[in-house]
Amino acid sequence: MEALERIAQGLFFTRSKMFLNHSPERHLLGKSIIPPPNFATHHMPYCWTSNDLNTRTVLTLWPHRSLPRRGFAAIILLAFALGTIPLYGLLGSVALWGILPFILIVVGALWWGLERSYRDGDILEDLCLDNTMLTLTHRPARGAVQQWDCNVYWARCELHAHGGPVPHYVTLTGNGRTVELGSFLSEDERKNLFSELNDFLCRYKPGC
Amino acid sequence: MADAAINSHDHQDDRGFFTRWFMSTNHKDIGLLYLIVSAFVGLIAVFFTVLMRLELMDPGVQYMCLEGARFLGGDGPCTPNGHLWNVLITYHGVLMMFFVVIPALFGGFGNYFMPLQIGAPDMAFPRMNNLSFWLYVAGTSLGIASMFSPGGNDQLGSGVGWVLYPPLSTSESGMSMDLAIFAVHVSGASSILGAINMITTFLNMRAPGMTLFKVPLFSWSIFVTAWLILLALPVLAGAITMLLTDRNFGTTFFDPAGGGDPILYQHILWFFGHPEVYIVILPGFGLISHVIATFSRKPVFGYLPMVWAIIAIGALGFVVWAHHMYTVGMSLTQQSYFMLATMVIAVPTGIKIFSWIATMWGGSVEFRAPMLFAFGFLILFTMGGVTGIVLAQAGVDRAYHDTYYVVAHFHYTMSMGAAFTIFAGVYFYIGKMTGRQYPELPAKIHFWMFFIGVNLTFFPQHFLGRQGMPRRYIDYPEAFAYWNKISTYGALLSFASFILFFGIVFYTLFRGARITENNYWNEYADTLEWTLPSPPPEHTFEVLPKQEDWDKGHAH
Repeated sequence: MEALERIAQGLFFTRSKMFLNHSPERHLLGKSIIPPPNFATHHMPYCWTSNDLNTRTVLTLWPHRSLPRRGFAAIILLAFALGTIPLYGLLGSVALWGILPFILIVVGALWWGLERSYRDGDILEDLCLDNTMLTLTHRPARGAVQQWDCNVYWARCELHAHGGPVPHYVTLTGNGRTVELGSFLSEDERKNLFSELNDFLCRYKPGC
Repeated sequence: MADAAINSHDHQDDRGFFTRWFMSTNHKDIGLLYLIVSAFVGLIAVFFTVLMRLELMDPGVQYMCLEGARFLGGDGPCTPNGHLWNVLITYHGVLMMFFVVIPALFGGFGNYFMPLQIGAPDMAFPRMNNLSFWLYVAGTSLGIASMFSPGGNDQLGSGVGWVLYPPLSTSESGMSMDLAIFAVHVSGASSILGAINMITTFLNMRAPGMTLFKVPLFSWSIFVTAWLILLALPVLAGAITMLLTDRNFGTTFFDPAGGGDPILYQHILWFFGHPEVYIVILPGFGLISHVIATFSRKPVFGYLPMVWAIIAIGALGFVVWAHHMYTVGMSLTQQSYFMLATMVIAVPTGIKIFSWIATMWGGSVEFRAPMLFAFGFLILFTMGGVTGIVLAQAGVDRAYHDTYYVVAHFHYTMSMGAAFTIFAGVYFYIGKMTGRQYPELPAKIHFWMFFIGVNLTFFPQHFLGRQGMPRRYIDYPEAFAYWNKISTYGALLSFASFILFFGIVFYTLFRGARITENNYWNEYADTLEWTLPSPPPEHTFEVLPKQEDWDKGHAH
C-alpha cells in the first residue's frame, strides 16, 4: 500500500515541477522547457531570481495547478491503455471499427481538456529590474499583455489586509498607478511575498 | 496591467431568473438543476413500477389490455397487451439507468460538492458543464418521445428491454427504437463531457497542499466514477451506433445472415453494462462515508483502504462483464474466469462495508434521517451483495438466470443501494443547498415507509425467483400469486413514501427552519463545503482555501 502511494506521489504530487510549465523561457522560446536555476527547491508558485546575474527578471509568479506534467502524461497513458481493453477481444472482427473511433475521440477529448485547463491557468507575472527601471508584466491566459513600470526608487508596495478583492492583497504603487501582484496566490503566500518584496525594494532605497 | 482594485464592493448576484437557471455556468446551480430534473424523471420511472406491480398483483391480465389500458377502471373482455408491458419494463430500465441515478448522484451531487470539497472556484469548464446538463435534458426528452412514437407490434414505444439486444432491437419496427438509441447516444455524450470536466477539475484544481490521498472520499468516488464513464460509455456508443446502422443502413454487425454475431453485442453491451452499475453506486459510496463519519462523530475508518477499494471496484468492474451472460454458451474456462473475477469484487466491497462499520464502532451514533438512510443502505446493499455472490456461480446461475431472483438482486444493490444513498445525501445536504432544514419526523417516517416498502417489494422476489418465476412477463401461473401480492403491497408503500419525500422537499423549501450556521451537523462534517454559509454564495473559493480549513489530519 505504501509503495503504491509512493509511486502515485512520484506521478501526481511534485508540485515544484509545475515550474516547467511556467518557466519564463518557455514563453520566450515557445516550447522550451529549460528550468530556471533553483526550481528543484520551489514550494511556492513564485520564485525570486534577483541573485542571478544572467537575467534581469527578479521575480516570477504563476497560479497553482495541482497536476504536474508527469501526472498529465500518466493520465493520458492510463486512459489510452484502459481504453484499448475492450478492443483486444474484437481484433479481427469488423465490430472493432465500430468501437475504436469512440475510444480515440474520448482519449483525445481528455487530452484537450487537460491542456485547456493548463492554458486557463497560464497566467504569468514577471517583475524585471533593468538598471533602475522596475517593470511588471502581467500575461493573462487570454488577451493582451499588460505592463507597468516605475523607477525602483519610487516604487512602493502595500499589503491590504482587507478591502481588496482577496484578503491580504499585494499592490505596487508608482508612476501614478497602483497595480496588483500575485492575486492568484494563496493567502499565506501573499503575506510572505509582501515581506520579501518589501525587503527587495528596500535594497534600492537609501536609509531604508 | 491588472490595476489594483482596492475597496471594491463585494460581488452582487444580479442575474435574472432566466440567466441564472437556463444559461447557468455555475456548478452549484447546475448541480441543483440535475437534482431537480432527475427527481422528476425518477417520478416517471417509479410510476411505471406502480403500473407494473398493479398488473402483477393478481394472476391474469387485468389492466394492460389490448382494448385499452384500464388503470382507471373499465370492463369487458381483456386481451393481454404484452407490448405495453414490454414498453414499461424497457423505459423503466432505460430511464433509471441513464436518466435518473447517474444524473442525480454524478451530475447533481458531483457537480455541487466535488468542486467545493477540493476548494475549486468552479468546474474546469463551466460552459461545457451547461452543455452536459442540456444534453441530458435533450436525451431525456428523446427517451420520452421514443415511448410515444410508432414502434413494434403497430403500437407506440419499443418493448425490447433496456439492454437493446439484437435481433429483437434490430427487428423492432417503427422509429421508436431509433429515437431510443439517439436518447442513449445523447445522454452518453452528456455523461462523457461531464466526466472529462470532473476529471480535469479533480486533477488540476485541487487546493494547494491537497495531494491525491488527502482528497475527501466523495470527491474520490466522483473521480473514479468519471473514469468508469470515460472508459465504458464510448463502448456503448459504439455498440448502439452499430445497432443503428444494422437497423437503417443494412449493415450486419449483429446479424448472422450477413456474418455478424448477436452474442458479440451482448459482450460489448455488458462490457459497458457492468461498469455502469458501479457508475450508479460508487458516488453513493462516497456520500455514505461522509454521512456515517458525521453521525458517528468519528473520522472515517481506514481512509486509504477506502480510496483503494473504490479504485479496485472500478478496475474490477471492467473484467467481469460476462457473468451477465453465463447462458450464452461460453467455454468452461471462460466461465470459471468470470466466476472467480466476480467473486473477487467482494473483497474491496467488504473492505468498504467493514470500514463503515468500524467507523461506527465506539462512535457516538446519532439517528438523524441521513444516518437512518445510511444504515438502510448498509443493510440492503450487503444483502444484495450476498445474493450477488450466489448469482456469480456459473452453475447456480443456470437456474437463476432471468428469474425474479436476479430482479431482487439488482434492485437490492442498485435501486435500494443508490436510492438510499441519494436520500441520505439529500437530507444530509439539503440545508447546505437551500439554507433551510428538513423536518426531522416526516423524514424519519419517510425512511421507515421506504425501508419497509422496498423490503416488502423485493424480498419476496427472491422466493419467486427460487420457485422459477421468470422476469419480464406480464402474467404468471396461480402458484406465484401469494408473494406477488405482497410484493405489490410493498411497491405501493414505497411509492407513497416517494410522494411523501416530494412533500418533505417542498415543505423544506418553503417552510423549513432557516439555517444560520455554516456547519449545522458537527465537527466531523469536516470537508470544505461546511466552511461555507448555507446556502453558499454564488462564487465560492475564488480565494484559495487555507490548508487548516480542510486538513484536519485525522480523516486522511
